[in-house]
Amino acid sequence: MADNSSDPVVLWQKMVGEMEKGLNAFANQTMSSPEFSKAMNQAGGVSAGAQKQFGEFMEKYLLSMNLPSRAQLVGMAERLQNIEGQLNEIKAVLQQMNAGTATSGFGAPRPPRTKRPPSGPPSSGERK
Amino acid sequence: MNALAGLDLASIPERIQSEVQRAIQRSIKGAEYFSTSGPTLGSTPKDIIHARGTMNLYHYRPLSDEVYRVPVLIVMATTNRGYILDMVPGQSFIEFLLKRGYDVYMLDWTPPRPEEKSLGMEHYVLDFIPDCVRHVQQDSGEQDISVIGYCFGGVLSLLYGSIFNDGPMKNLICFTTPIDFRELKLFSNFSDRRYFDVDRLVDSVGNVPPEIILSSFEMLRPASRVTSQVQLWENIWNDEYVKSYRMFDRWATDTLPLAGEYFRSITKDLMWDNKLFNDTMTVGGRKADIASIKVPILHAVAEHDHIVPYEAAKHLIAKVGSQDKEEVMLKGGHVSLVAGANAVKRLWPKLDSWLGGRSI
Repeated sequence: MADNSSDPVVLWQKMVGEMEKGLNAFANQTMSSPEFSKAMNQAGGVSAGAQKQFGEFMEKYLLSMNLPSRAQLVGMAERLQNIEGQLNEIKAVLQQMNAGTATSGFGAPRPPRTKRPPSGPPSSGERK
Repeated sequence: MNALAGLDLASIPERIQSEVQRAIQRSIKGAEYFSTSGPTLGSTPKDIIHARGTMNLYHYRPLSDEVYRVPVLIVMATTNRGYILDMVPGQSFIEFLLKRGYDVYMLDWTPPRPEEKSLGMEHYVLDFIPDCVRHVQQDSGEQDISVIGYCFGGVLSLLYGSIFNDGPMKNLICFTTPIDFRELKLFSNFSDRRYFDVDRLVDSVGNVPPEIILSSFEMLRPASRVTSQVQLWENIWNDEYVKSYRMFDRWATDTLPLAGEYFRSITKDLMWDNKLFNDTMTVGGRKADIASIKVPILHAVAEHDHIVPYEAAKHLIAKVGSQDKEEVMLKGGHVSLVAGANAVKRLWPKLDSWLGGRSI
């Protein structure tokens, strides 16, 4: 095998790999501290609170503009989902009805459930 | 200096020429990269045989002349899409199983809608999985079922198996499944009960956005995002590397939101109180003690798993009540254990040799 220990490209790749490992290890060590958790969750809590307040404000704003609210759109989406679900059920029934003529997918003839493993049934027991 | 001393001077012109060619290829392929989409994923032919809310049940069309009697139901992790197990032909776990004669179903998840924020652990374990099991039984005509759970799909499968321990699950296979949540060190610290107000978060946002889930995964290896971009640029002349990068990158960033109550339960019951490990877990008022699982079980863990380290997964086999149980540790990480070139050589043949004899 060729010795590529002096190849600048290989050296660069090794350096990137080592840098990645080092930075990840350092970051993991930092993030393991309770102080990090406290700071992260304080920042996250502020952000979540602000998001909630903004959402409430937007809801009022949309109402004043005579635009549908999120709840109304969600309701509409739910009705569409129900319609889609019913269409899927109709589709499944139609496919089952066409079972005799189909060549693949729903209704296609299934292979027999007769397969045996090449080496026979296993021996049981705890292994680690 | 030492490096220079070992330098083969005669090879320098050849090396420069090769690097110049690669630089040109990088420019061409780099332009291609941004102007094309990645490979089509999850393309093994399948039918949706049942869909309800955040749940989809697929049946994959058989690829062999005969199949094993016992069908296989794969339960995906709720944070990620199921196509990680069905990447591209030749690198698809699903395709592998089909060709080896298994009848394969998958319980995959879609993003919960805002009004589904009230879905809790009991909906997943006592409703969605049993509902899918019933559909698999109906569709296959078989009562027995083998269940494969990946990551948190493994946790859900364990909870299901411990509550419905009198059947119809015949075999259980878990991939990288944590049960000691204290050992998910960084996740534990991020969700430290002294500082993390899960109630406030869930009450504010409803469903937990995918950005939060993705960020918490990426924070486990914060430098890797940048270095993977550097490595992509270096290897952008290599079509196979780029294809693989795009597949995994797309999947890793395609994170799902989590239903609010479900997230609250994971945080309080598993992250804070470690109830699965402490044998105190209940779901919808029903005790879920994994010692009550008696079916044959295989647990595959990855040697270099940074998401579910071995310490978090190692007690599973000791705790289940099965006589026929096996843990196998394979080289690789959390994702490369189940997908990609390494999985083709390591996990998949192991799983086939274990499951085949137990599927008749």
